Amino acid sequence: MAETIQKESAAILEIRGLQKAFGENTVLRDISLDVEPGNVVSIIGPSGSGKSTLLRCATFLETADGGDILYDGQYAVRGGVYAPKADLARFRTRYGLVFQSFNLFPHYSVMRNVSEAPILHGQNKDEAQEYARSLLKKMGLEGKENAYPFQLSGGQQQRVAIARALAMKPEILFFDEPTSALDPELTGEVLKVIRQLAEEKMTMVVVTHEMPFAKAVSNRVIFMDGGVIVEQGDPISVFDHPKEERTKQFLSVFER
Amino acid sequence: MTLMTMIMKMSEGLGKTCAIFFLTVLFSLPLGMIVALLRMSKNKVVSAVTRFIITVLRGTPLMLQLLAVTYGPYYLFGAGVARNKLIPVVIAFSINYAAYFAEIYRGGIESIPVGQYEAAEVLGYTKMQTFMRIILPQVVKRIMPSVTNEIVTLVKDTSMAFTVSYQEMFTIGKQIANSQTSFMPFLVAGVFYYLFNLIVDRVMGRVEKRLDYYKG
Repeated sequence: MAETIQKESAAILEIRGLQKAFGENTVLRDISLDVEPGNVVSIIGPSGSGKSTLLRCATFLETADGGDILYDGQYAVRGGVYAPKADLARFRTRYGLVFQSFNLFPHYSVMRNVSEAPILHGQNKDEAQEYARSLLKKMGLEGKENAYPFQLSGGQQQRVAIARALAMKPEILFFDEPTSALDPELTGEVLKVIRQLAEEKMTMVVVTHEMPFAKAVSNRVIFMDGGVIVEQGDPISVFDHPKEERTKQFLSVFER
Repeated sequence: MTLMTMIMKMSEGLGKTCAIFFLTVLFSLPLGMIVALLRMSKNKVVSAVTRFIITVLRGTPLMLQLLAVTYGPYYLFGAGVARNKLIPVVIAFSINYAAYFAEIYRGGIESIPVGQYEAAEVLGYTKMQTFMRIILPQVVKRIMPSVTNEIVTLVKDTSMAFTVSYQEMFTIGKQIANSQTSFMPFLVAGVFYYLFNLIVDRVMGRVEKRLDYYKG
């Protein structure tokens, strides 16, 4: 960890000047963002605005071209240069990611989906399974331990995916449009458990199109467009008194 | 020669037919995985060379490959022809079938959604754990029907060993057919292969059923 330094900042996640382009197409231009412990940050914006790419860079699924990413004040990425693989592996244990398309392992039971990663990380099997069981109960999935993903509804699958991410005891949880692949009648049950996590002061970054949800649950809302953060602030100021023209335009679509 | 003696004589070659079959399955299945991984290598030279070898193995007759492996060393280096022809026969079959299995594996591996890799990566699975625990089991299920197809074909292809006069069932049958000017041995051979494949079908069906506990 020679490259990492302790910092004064209390932020769990710090992103500074993040740059990302896919070929000619610049997706992120100089994005900076802090996430403090216990906060819920929602990222909204039109598709193609770079929201998902931002999450994917923060979770190392995409490689940023430039900028810094720090977890707990330690550099995972500094000036576009990534920490050694072993360090990145340790940074990975600090966060969890919930995907739009769940990405559960179809050949594993619900229990194994949730408990295998902690066991592979050296946790005692009984303890990992017990913790998995308690998480599933919290997600309203008691009794589904032995089911396979194909036997569950989309909403149930996404809640298993949330339990799976929580099983690693992350300090911060990322959601990449967690309800976009769900039928409308199933989004509620997923948003409910995210709201419950927010009440428990889980630190979360949520990319979402669910505006009422973002307004209700967030400490801070970030509006992105064209690879930049156009506007950010507390939910009331962003949703009810947006300053930027582009924010107003975007939000007006949802008011109809 | 009575039908019974024909059947008895040809049965003597069944052991060798089975030897070709089981040894080829044993070697070609794992070899195919190695070939598939080389074919998908990020190193462009490795993948291009592997791709070329696969096209040669799939694009030329198995019969030719059998002759090449069995007699090639003699013509090329003046080396002796293997006394036990089972060795060159199994080598030729294994390499040939590995090429086919490699393409089946590759298709299977590439059909697994990228989200499976990403989910495993974020959860801290190593590359090896991801492949062995998440990807491979799903690939096996997806490719089972194609693998069964190849194995059924292999049963019948063992008859190709007659080209190098390896004394398996079909070679003996062909010799009897020639000496007795009878078509009967070919019918007997046909029944043998059919029964063999009936068993193969049962076994593979059972394997597929065991993988049926999940969908997706």
